[in-house]
Amino acid sequence: MAKSLSELGHSCLTAEDGEVGLLKAREGQFDVMIIDRMMPRRDGVSMVECLRRDGDQTPVLFLSAMGEITHRVEGLNAGGDDYLVKPYALAELVARVEALSRRRETGSVQTLLRVGDLEMDLIGRSVRRAGKEIDLQPREFQLLEFLMRHADQSVTRTMLLEKVWEYHFDPQTNVIDVHISRLRSKIDKGFDRPMLQTVRGAGYRLEA
Amino acid sequence: MGAPRILRTTPFRLTLLFLASFAAAASAFLAYIYLATAGEVSRRADSNISREMASLDAVYRRGGFAALNQTIIERSTINPTLLYLLMDRTGAPISGSIAKSPIALDVSDRAWGSFVLTDTDADGASTRRSARGLEERLSGGERLFVGADISESEAYVVGIVRALWGAGALVLLLGLGGGLFVSRNVTKNISSLTHVIDSARGGDLRARADIRGTGDEYDELANGLNDMLDRLERSIGGLRHAGDAIAHDLRSPLTRLRARLESAMIDADAGRADPKQALHQALEDTDGVLRTFAAVLAIARLEAIGDAPDQTLFDPASLGADIAELYEPLCEEKQIDFKTELTPGLSVRANREFVAQALANLLDNAVKYTPSGGAIMLRARRRSSGDVEYSVTDTGPGVSEADRARVVERFVRLENSRNQPGAGLGLALVMAVATAHRGHLELDDGPGLPGENGPGLRAALVLPKGG
Repeated sequence: MAKSLSELGHSCLTAEDGEVGLLKAREGQFDVMIIDRMMPRRDGVSMVECLRRDGDQTPVLFLSAMGEITHRVEGLNAGGDDYLVKPYALAELVARVEALSRRRETGSVQTLLRVGDLEMDLIGRSVRRAGKEIDLQPREFQLLEFLMRHADQSVTRTMLLEKVWEYHFDPQTNVIDVHISRLRSKIDKGFDRPMLQTVRGAGYRLEA
Repeated sequence: MGAPRILRTTPFRLTLLFLASFAAAASAFLAYIYLATAGEVSRRADSNISREMASLDAVYRRGGFAALNQTIIERSTINPTLLYLLMDRTGAPISGSIAKSPIALDVSDRAWGSFVLTDTDADGASTRRSARGLEERLSGGERLFVGADISESEAYVVGIVRALWGAGALVLLLGLGGGLFVSRNVTKNISSLTHVIDSARGGDLRARADIRGTGDEYDELANGLNDMLDRLERSIGGLRHAGDAIAHDLRSPLTRLRARLESAMIDADAGRADPKQALHQALEDTDGVLRTFAAVLAIARLEAIGDAPDQTLFDPASLGADIAELYEPLCEEKQIDFKTELTPGLSVRANREFVAQALANLLDNAVKYTPSGGAIMLRARRRSSGDVEYSVTDTGPGVSEADRARVVERFVRLENSRNQPGAGLGLALVMAVATAHRGHLELDDGPGLPGENGPGLRAALVLPKGG
């Protein structure tokens, strides 16, 4: 995992158990921490609880073989920001890590999102591309908002279903793809350059 | 613990405890009866003695010493139940039925006493009888003793007490016997349960406790135990089956994957082909395997937890609308007419996430098997029984009646669906969701429009009414 992330240009530090992890987390400055729930000497949940008590707000992605909703809720309550169940695809992990590190940069309150010539007014609930008003259904608006907040990053279908529809399962058919293609027809139709790209083996990316 | 097993049983111990407290109470009761009766005997004797003494006093006052002496001699012979002794000033006997006063009258003029008469009966054997007596100093200084033999009355009391003791002993004996009987009975009933538990502990989950049909607490316990074992057996069986199924179903894609990688390597070594294409295909295959794996795990977990956790009250129509919104574009793309009929104002207690997943699976199937131009209907309504029913009706080929029981099992795919993607886990998961909510899954024919390619399918997820 560290090798793959390094190859993608992230600098990584690894710790072999919960105690070492806690020590390193306290010493260094990190954009994202990827923490396994089950580690020797100190489990992930207690490690994150310790860090949050110290006031450390670094985004945390939990990895776990335990996928029930109660486990997920437990992890998120302890101060985790995202939860990924094993086995997972590397693309899924990378997309989530990048989404978490981006969350930190963007800060909290934003009323206007802008990606290239695409503008989203979060208060007026309106979207324009190159000044031209685009009419979106509420769900399409949410979908586009998520894509814009993670512009230039790959987002997976599972992530979209989780963050936009708030379901934690994998549909067997291509439901998400159809929603994306609808959205694509609204924001890219009539423009030379398509913004909403399909990333093979991963998901989608909104490019400026 | 060397004591026989039955002596260590709880009912037997309770019997002993009961008998001990019963014995204590009975002893107190007997002691009271004894004291009351014995007291009555001596009181009655005393009043006889007092009356006789008063009458003798009267004789003495009227006729003096001579008359008294005369009377005593007479009465000693005609009244054998009373004892008389007239003595002079020094205590030497003058007349009467006994030789010596058992009471030593020293300072006082009148004294009562209890004593034992030693006598010889007609056969010459010595007898001992208890007696009461009163001695008085007469006005002339002579001493007069009147006594009564109370041995007969006392023997009567002793007889009663002995009978009571006997009855007590009999009760104890019967109680002990009853205790043993009850213990044996209880032990017999429990031992069938213990036997079942022992064999379950030994790993054999097929043993079941006998139900005697009396509906008592043993039957209740046996029923509970059997239910628990049924559930345990099912979930262990389910896990074992899931393990076998995973092994079976993952073997073929993994073998395919391996073969593809192998041939890609040979091709790449020979410089014949670009390995990239093979890698892409391998990645896709792996994703498929992971999806299957995740689905099987989800089903196995659902089956293992029993009742679904995190159940909340929610509006079935709002969840139905949410899911419909997710699937509506997919139907539109495939030119399927998708409609919903969601009864507003209902509420159901369930795990929203699980139900959402079950509905998604039903709609997945419907979209997959309904041809273009067909129709799908998602309904949420309340049945007359109060249960909430979600149903998905399509105009696809349907499932023949013979296949309906089979199609909800894991990895079962019907012949005509082989060319469709999927691992045959969708309905198995819906079934598991239904079971985790104590509901059920119903499959029957859809509307079967003429000119269509089949009767269609109506799949209904029924959730029991609750809270």
